[in-house]
Amino acid sequence: MTNLDVAQRIRQLPGWIVLALWALVVAVPLYILIVSCFKTTAEIYGDKFGLPTNWTLDNFANAWTQAQFARYMWNSFAVTGGAVILTLVVSAMAAFPLSRYQLGWSSPVLAFFLAGVMLPIRLASVELFTLMKTLDLLDSRLGLIFVYSAIRIPFAVFILANFMRVLPKELEEAARLDGAKEWRILFRIILPTIKPAVAIVAIFTAIAVWNDFFFPLIFIFDDDYKTVPLAITTFIGQFRTDWGMVFAALAISMMPVLVMYLLLARQIREGVGATGGLK
Amino acid sequence: MSTSRPRAAPVEWQKHRSAALFVLPALVIYCLFVIYPLASSLWGSLFEWRGFRMRGFVGLDNFARLFVEPSWTKLSGAFTHNVFWFLGIMVLQNGLGLIFAYLLFLRRRGTAFLQSVFFFPAVLSPVIVGALWRLLLTPDGAVESLLHSLGLLEGRLTILGDSTWALWVLIAVDAWNWMGLPVLIFTAGLRQIQPEVFEAARLDGAGNGRILWSIALPQLVPSISSLTTLTFINTFNQFDLVYVMQGVQGNPNFATDTLVTYFFRLAFGAEGAVGITDIGLALALGTLLFLLLTVVTIGLLRFFERRTVRF
Repeated sequence: MTNLDVAQRIRQLPGWIVLALWALVVAVPLYILIVSCFKTTAEIYGDKFGLPTNWTLDNFANAWTQAQFARYMWNSFAVTGGAVILTLVVSAMAAFPLSRYQLGWSSPVLAFFLAGVMLPIRLASVELFTLMKTLDLLDSRLGLIFVYSAIRIPFAVFILANFMRVLPKELEEAARLDGAKEWRILFRIILPTIKPAVAIVAIFTAIAVWNDFFFPLIFIFDDDYKTVPLAITTFIGQFRTDWGMVFAALAISMMPVLVMYLLLARQIREGVGATGGLK
Repeated sequence: MSTSRPRAAPVEWQKHRSAALFVLPALVIYCLFVIYPLASSLWGSLFEWRGFRMRGFVGLDNFARLFVEPSWTKLSGAFTHNVFWFLGIMVLQNGLGLIFAYLLFLRRRGTAFLQSVFFFPAVLSPVIVGALWRLLLTPDGAVESLLHSLGLLEGRLTILGDSTWALWVLIAVDAWNWMGLPVLIFTAGLRQIQPEVFEAARLDGAGNGRILWSIALPQLVPSISSLTTLTFINTFNQFDLVYVMQGVQGNPNFATDTLVTYFFRLAFGAEGAVGITDIGLALALGTLLFLLLTVVTIGLLRFFERRTVRF
């Protein structure tokens, strides 16, 4: 190492300290969350920062059975999975002709979809509630799937159309001459070539739907259909003294997102940097 | 793009039909569950409501009622909190985020890892973030013992129940939650600036702070534009953190009430002791908020459009 390198390192030190401090501010609360899951409530009160003296899995067991987290997890998985699939399929179908056919009317339709990216749909929740009641979609996972898809479609159409537009024309023309149907061209040729875009749409839709509690809050009353975030809001009030179990419930509910993040951190970083869209 | 052709061939017609069939499912779902409820909410704000039932046309009466007591105190309070929230996030989250992004940009190693760490809270549900911080910030919680051991506090930590501090605590938690967003957007923006620009400035003897302020910042206008717009939309839609950490009343004593929590109480009946809904008032508030969001968003985008540096 030369002197110049050392000087360079020293000059960079204050910056590293600032960055490390924020990393700590992010990590410490999450660390406390994780270690508290394995402590008894008495120990959480006693020692907040240390590792558990006796590691216990009771909190998880209690949250899973007593607080019925298994059911809420299933509901969240079903709603998230359904919304991701529905959003992807209908958005890909819409984006395909709008970006690749010479139609003359694709720009205004795309603009109409794009407007939905910014529409504050929560402010329409009164009329949405009435609509869901009329359609018999209250207290229904399917109802949530429709609402979430409707909200995520604008972003999905926008991203998919942007990726599809730049593909070369020859891609589908050979298949078309062979007599392939349009839906076959879309699902067998176009979508496999734009996998990164499909991944971005799927990841962002999944995260947004998994995390939301506003729509379950107004559409779900029956405990059988509650999703994880909604269950947690009632849960904190109900078991507010049983800290161990509350921490365990939080840990369980963030687990799927954590796993996804560990696997896909790069795609998520690049997707956010490029599109800015998660909320 | 759209050129009118003299005559549509038979194949042409088929193309339009198949395109329409492909677009239809997405269009129907989007119109039914987003456009229709939004449009009828706007329209409904001009009517009198009895519970969830629409009565006669009343023009702007609902809007007038928003601006007189007992609504005015709530409305002006919530609006002020939203404005503070926006300003707080702009400084605390986007300002700090720019500094973090610049520090990361200047370093070759560790960038991706730290970006991932910083962004992680953003993929968590606001419910988890709110619940976690509520547990950490309660009297006898982890933050209290930390402050005790650092000697910064004696006695109980009660900021969540303190009406002068509660709002700022929520804003800080929100910044903690979303700090990764400005970091990612600004690093992406910084990487798009040509490296020669930085090298030239460095050869001229400019320090890092000066380069950030006078060289990088003017070229980051597109990033600043999208962040400001996103921040505006998100802070004026703020509901989740308040609901989870302070309840739908925006405790203590409405100190953390926002426009959307107020809207929610009016629409779904948690306003006042008896919990009666006032749909007319809710729809009027929703309409005003919709107009505010649209006008300011367009205004912001136009404002930044004119200040974008082009080459």
